[in-house]
Amino acid sequence: MRIEISGLVKTYKGKGRALDGLDLLVPTGMFGLLGANGAGKTTLMRILAGLLRPTGGEVRIGGYDVTGRAGRQAVQRVLGYLPQDLGVYPDLSAREFLDYVGLLKGIDDRATRRRRVGELLEVVALTGDADRRLRGYSGGMRRRVGIAQALLADPRLLIVDEPTAGLDPEERIRFRTLLSQLAGERTVLLSTHIVDDVAQTCRELAVLAKGRLVFRGTVDDLTRRADRRVWSVVTAGPAPTGGTVVSALPVEGGLRYRVVASVPPAPDAEPLAPTLEDGYLALAQPGAAEDAMRP
Amino acid sequence: MTAAFVYEFRMQARKRSMWIANGVIVALLGLLTANLLTDALDEPSAKVAMTSGAFLVNLILPVVYGCFLADRLVRDDKLGVAPILDATPASTAGRLSGKYLGSCAAAAVPLAIIYFGFAVLYAATAGHPVALAWAAALFAVVILPAVLFVGAFALVVPLLIPAPLFRVLFVGYWFWGNSIHPTLMPTLSQSLISPIGPYPLQELFGYGGPGGDVVLAGPVDDATLNFLRPAATAATAWLSIGVLLAVAALVLSAAPALRARTTR
Ligand SMILES: Nc1ncnc2c1ncn2[C@@H]1O[C@H](COP(=O)(O)OP(=O)(O)OP(=O)(O)O)[C@@H](O)[C@H]1O
Ligand SMILES: [Mg+2]
Repeated sequence: MRIEISGLVKTYKGKGRALDGLDLLVPTGMFGLLGANGAGKTTLMRILAGLLRPTGGEVRIGGYDVTGRAGRQAVQRVLGYLPQDLGVYPDLSAREFLDYVGLLKGIDDRATRRRRVGELLEVVALTGDADRRLRGYSGGMRRRVGIAQALLADPRLLIVDEPTAGLDPEERIRFRTLLSQLAGERTVLLSTHIVDDVAQTCRELAVLAKGRLVFRGTVDDLTRRADRRVWSVVTAGPAPTGGTVVSALPVEGGLRYRVVASVPPAPDAEPLAPTLEDGYLALAQPGAAEDAMRP
Repeated sequence: MTAAFVYEFRMQARKRSMWIANGVIVALLGLLTANLLTDALDEPSAKVAMTSGAFLVNLILPVVYGCFLADRLVRDDKLGVAPILDATPASTAGRLSGKYLGSCAAAAVPLAIIYFGFAVLYAATAGHPVALAWAAALFAVVILPAVLFVGAFALVVPLLIPAPLFRVLFVGYWFWGNSIHPTLMPTLSQSLISPIGPYPLQELFGYGGPGGDVVLAGPVDDATLNFLRPAATAATAWLSIGVLLAVAALVLSAAPALRARTTR
């Protein structure tokens, strides 16, 4: 399922534009979405899930127009959506909650639904706690219920908004691997602040800033934005300026800084091989933004 | 719709506080009106006994279930469950009616237990099994319409004002709109849209208050809003039930638009 977005605008009441004329094509497969807080990722995903009506522009998913009632229903029939601010009913158990969502998703056959719910509880490693009330679940456990709910009806389109926030490292890696495995024929749109999750799972990604598209391309493309821009500096003095400090690691003789900067931040700075995160940071720097849209 | 019905019923029925509140109110009421209760059990006519029981249930208990139903719709947004439910292909109208009927049904369960408990007690002590038939009729015609009417407002009004404020206003409204005598001030009591059910109580069951000599429904001399108080007949009694249900449906139908206003 392809997602075609053109000229998409969303204005919240009494606010500026959360999305400001966004054009984006999301192909089948796994696709990453990055951007600072408030960049508009959640707004975009809520529009795609049919929860929010855009102020202007067009969105087509698999040929359906999601702003119309019929198109929205058609998309929602094949959609799995994991919201960023996810909640559950405290007075139901995980099994009951999933059963309820399964019913709403149109899995009418009781036996099929039971089996599916059981499988997914297994997938998110909650089988042991499945019959406890959700009231007593930890944040990460709730998120896993959210993940299970998104996968219930075997969706062809998966929209997951920061799915791994709050998960322990093991669960996080398990889930992102699951997502890539699912991708194949499906479309998986993944928004996250964990750049490494995108690096490990996606071939292509987009970066939003202030409601606009500032990058769209492959993970390698974005990584290359930081070519000859990543430096290692060891100093006991003040932190290097004129770039973005990625990390500071205590070593003998001071701190070892990893810096993304267009010029060496110190005479003795050593060049390093860039990661996707470096590329993402380089994008926000002057000089990089201008050529960011270069194919 | 069935899905929402089943699960909303289950969640509301699991609210322990609802059971406690109903229990406490009934216990208090039982103590305060102990002599009334014994009177009722001594009442020779099963019909009169059951009708006064229904009147009492409808006078007091809506305050309890009205307050408990007030969070049902708004909590989906508060808890953050709404985006999950809204992203399913299930129709909004179906989900809303399922939620409404399911939570109202759950709220009616304690009422049924209390009221039919009273009916069974009466039937056993007075030896009038026909009381159970009267109780069933009164439950359907007097108690349930009140639940549906109050339930619609309790679900929808908190979309406009905070639920706690709604509860305070609702309790005020309940006694103002149902039990104040219309000559004292403008009120909806004794009218067609009084959910306590004065028309059906008086016309379909011949109820005349605790002493049997009170006029519950119909025009009142020197009162305002008398246009809502047509002459009391069996026909206007059924009309009154129809009006209550129609108002409930109308209020519910406003819910999607009111919700969109806050979430879009
Ligand atoms: N319900 C709302 N009402 C008003 N403004 C909103 C609402 N939701 C989001 N905004 C605004 O829209 C902009 C984009 O927000 P959005 O939640 O889409 O960003 P995001 O990229 O998902 O951020 P984050 O990474 O923090 O989740 C922000 O400026 C935010 O303040
Ligand atoms: Mg977000």
